[in-house]
Amino acid sequence: MGESPPSAGESADGSGDGLAADGGSAPGVDGRMSGLTTYLRERPRLRTLAIAGPPYGILVFFFAIPLLAMLVVSFQADQIGGAWTLHNYTDFLTSDTYLTVVWRTFLISVQVTAIVAAVGYALAYSIVRFSRRTTLLLLLVILPFWTSYIIRMYAWINILQSDGVLDSLLDLAGLPTLGLLYTDTAVLIGFTYVWLPLAVLPFYASLTNLDGDLIEASKDLGAGPIRTFLSVTLPMTINGVVTGIVLVFIPTFGSFITPRLLGGTNNIMIGMVIENQFKSAFNWPFGAAIGMVISVVVVALLVLATRLGGGLFGTGGETA
Amino acid sequence: MSAIDRVTDPLERFTQAHAARMAAAVIVSVIAFLWLPIGVLVFMSFADGGVLSFPPDELTLRWYREFLTNDAAIDAIVTTLTISIPATGITVALSTMIAYAIDRYVFPGRSWLQLLATLPIIVPLVVTGVAMVLFFKGTLGLPDYVAVVIAHVIRTIPFATLVILPTFLSFDRGLEEASKDLGADEFETFRQVTLPNVFPGVVAGGLLAFTLSFNEFVYTYFVKGSGDPTLPVYIWNQIRYNVTPEVNVISVVFLAVAVSMVLAAVSITRVELIAQR
Repeated sequence: MGESPPSAGESADGSGDGLAADGGSAPGVDGRMSGLTTYLRERPRLRTLAIAGPPYGILVFFFAIPLLAMLVVSFQADQIGGAWTLHNYTDFLTSDTYLTVVWRTFLISVQVTAIVAAVGYALAYSIVRFSRRTTLLLLLVILPFWTSYIIRMYAWINILQSDGVLDSLLDLAGLPTLGLLYTDTAVLIGFTYVWLPLAVLPFYASLTNLDGDLIEASKDLGAGPIRTFLSVTLPMTINGVVTGIVLVFIPTFGSFITPRLLGGTNNIMIGMVIENQFKSAFNWPFGAAIGMVISVVVVALLVLATRLGGGLFGTGGETA
Repeated sequence: MSAIDRVTDPLERFTQAHAARMAAAVIVSVIAFLWLPIGVLVFMSFADGGVLSFPPDELTLRWYREFLTNDAAIDAIVTTLTISIPATGITVALSTMIAYAIDRYVFPGRSWLQLLATLPIIVPLVVTGVAMVLFFKGTLGLPDYVAVVIAHVIRTIPFATLVILPTFLSFDRGLEEASKDLGADEFETFRQVTLPNVFPGVVAGGLLAFTLSFNEFVYTYFVKGSGDPTLPVYIWNQIRYNVTPEVNVISVVFLAVAVSMVLAAVSITRVELIAQR
């Protein structure tokens, strides 16, 4: 068993190395003593286990299993370990109040996604096609993303509240004030502000990868810039567009900070209902059930996005 | 066909003629939209007078002095650092191991590892936050501090991995082969050849992980009990219940941390790497 050259352990490890280093390793391996070879043949698995095992275990135990625990708890009554029940779901799905909240959350998420996609794509396109200072511009776009989410919302409270920056400036200019804070508009502005940098990145990546010759070819064939955009550029970058849409829609759908800080009492979103279950109502199983409802929406969107060809996990480094 | 052309042709010609100007207008206005609110925060931190009054009568450093003598705010910063620093260390170690394993080894569940290391970005924060409080507190009964550090590790792993993995993938493996041919074992090779080459990526991943952890709010808010708030939780309470002018100063603290960390990360790697997500 140990003598046959392409044993399972070695070929598994060797194929990984071989991709990059080609034939270079062959003479070295052949020249070694058989005892050492056997030892090395057994070692890769141990080595792989020692390196991949800890992060794998931590992600499974502290990320995947908690999500499963949430599923389990969502079927329990009143508290963790309570009797099995479907009540959390039936209560939620038969309540007009909650269903209205879900619908409103969905509508706001769609609006935010549409605005961010349009503005973000226009920005990415302008940077890629018309600017030479891409590094600086990209940095200016992503830097705000790395500051505190709450602080960025607080900035908009400063701007949008009555007597805030916006209204004061309008007042100085002799225009009527708007008093936008605690309205749907404020919520849309806040979401657009936080997600724009996030969406620009996949748009930027897909536009950078687009072969410029295709655009030239389209123009040579007589298409104007708009026609070229609609029939060449947009279809060729659809993966980036889908990725951007997913990256904006999902966190908007689950958000509670923005509607809590910028929205009024009439602008309830589903994330706020969950927050309420854990911070004041203390009905954890019910909160878990709502968490599952959000998860179902998210999974449905991801499946749809995969069908449309979004490279969701690709931008990271699956280029190997 | 020609009827449509009559409508679209002038539009096409207009776009063709003004494309560069339109692009410049888009870039300038969007970047202004992104930065003006930040400018407002910085400006307001120097504003005299009460909370949230614009325009201010005069500029002052008063709120900075008050911030420095406010024990609650300083304690919140210390609490945040006692969580963020160990969380960053753990994340950098784990993300480097993930990157190394995914880059080098073919093993069952390899794609699952990559998926697991990416998923915390995609699952809504509130969902993971709920799942964590149920499992960490409800099932395991972990102490606050441990639970929050673990939550921060889970939150930062995807971002650190997204930065560290590409540096491993683009590293020339021939150097390692040379090292091994010269008699170094795998660990020596890693320490003396691989690590110096991937070090900038690893440090950049760590800087971003720290920034993210310093700003982390949603997981912390769910997992952590009341008492000893982190800075983001402290500022959330301030904004929701009793805004004081120091909030503006704390905003500037957040800005300074984020800008310096990201610029440091960018200076040692490529901006595209940081811009992955």
